[in-house]
Amino acid sequence: MNTARFTVPKQRLAQLLRTPGGPPAAEALAAAQSNLVVLKPQCIGELDKLLAAAEAVYARLTGYDEQGLAELYDASVRGIGLGDLCGAGSVDVALHSLCDLLDHLQTQEIYEAEAVGVHLRAWRLLISTELPQEGAQQVLAGLNKVSAKYGVPKGDEG
Amino acid sequence: MGLDPNSRARFNLKDASVLLLDATPLGMTILVQIVTGLGAKNLHRCADVESAREAVEGNQIDLAIIDSLPPEGAGYDFVRWMRREAGEPNCYTPIIMTTSHTPRSQISQARDCGANIIIRKPFPPITVLERIIWSSKEDRKFLFSDTYVGPDRRFRNIGPPKGVKGRRREDFTATPLPQGEAGSEAASAQEAGEA
Repeated sequence: MNTARFTVPKQRLAQLLRTPGGPPAAEALAAAQSNLVVLKPQCIGELDKLLAAAEAVYARLTGYDEQGLAELYDASVRGIGLGDLCGAGSVDVALHSLCDLLDHLQTQEIYEAEAVGVHLRAWRLLISTELPQEGAQQVLAGLNKVSAKYGVPKGDEG
Repeated sequence: MGLDPNSRARFNLKDASVLLLDATPLGMTILVQIVTGLGAKNLHRCADVESAREAVEGNQIDLAIIDSLPPEGAGYDFVRWMRREAGEPNCYTPIIMTTSHTPRSQISQARDCGANIIIRKPFPPITVLERIIWSSKEDRKFLFSDTYVGPDRRFRNIGPPKGVKGRRREDFTATPLPQGEAGSEAASAQEAGEA
């Protein structure tokens, strides 16, 4: 028999947030945003580093390899969120797609070199901030088609 | 949950003790830049679960922003531990989980760990502030059960599913959404990456 008990705890955070002396939300948000702007070079460098690591793993994979796919997933998942900070938000979308693909391959214990390769090439292309928005959208549409072709379940995010 | 980015409403995080858990140095830097920009000063920065446990055991934590820690999802286990083992008051601490990507095998773990809300990367500062304010709301019930410990996930009372007779006392006071709206709301919440 499952037992349940409810309580309504007092949240100290709620009281602290109401303490006089805090900045207006608009100012706090502007400060946080400007704090992030300075991280752009670091984010670009990190994305480059992770892509190089992913490409190195891809180059040595010849078939299903649990460890290799785990390394690829690790490099891809660590890059998510950095694209947006360096003005290339489509990189994040491509990395989500790559992570969905790698999760699918790991679950099914299969390997699809072409599908992974297309995603890595897209990553390299999208990382270039000179790519026009329209071009980026076409690349992402292509990734969607590739994922659909290989039966990758769509977006499980939460 | 929408907050006007030009809002002059004031929020004070200066004295809040904030736990941050992220294993990647750049991920931690991003979190720190956001929360210090929002006014937080008292930060416990942890790169692994062990140091986060020590921070919880030695301090009262007012807010925790916890990464899921892919690929194993150790962040979910940490939140579960915090809800079940940390004791009062830290078991009630508002917890915002951040995630890059959730493998299908970890979806139920994410749903059941006991976080107040889950936000998906990339997240702009306004999303973080909105979730901080939302998580701090005092009227949300907290549930202890054999299988789940955390804030009540039924935070909107829209009654039992269509065609199902309600079993709970609250079902009789529910305000059902207009025809067709419940499904679209669930879908948009999922798209927003919320728990």
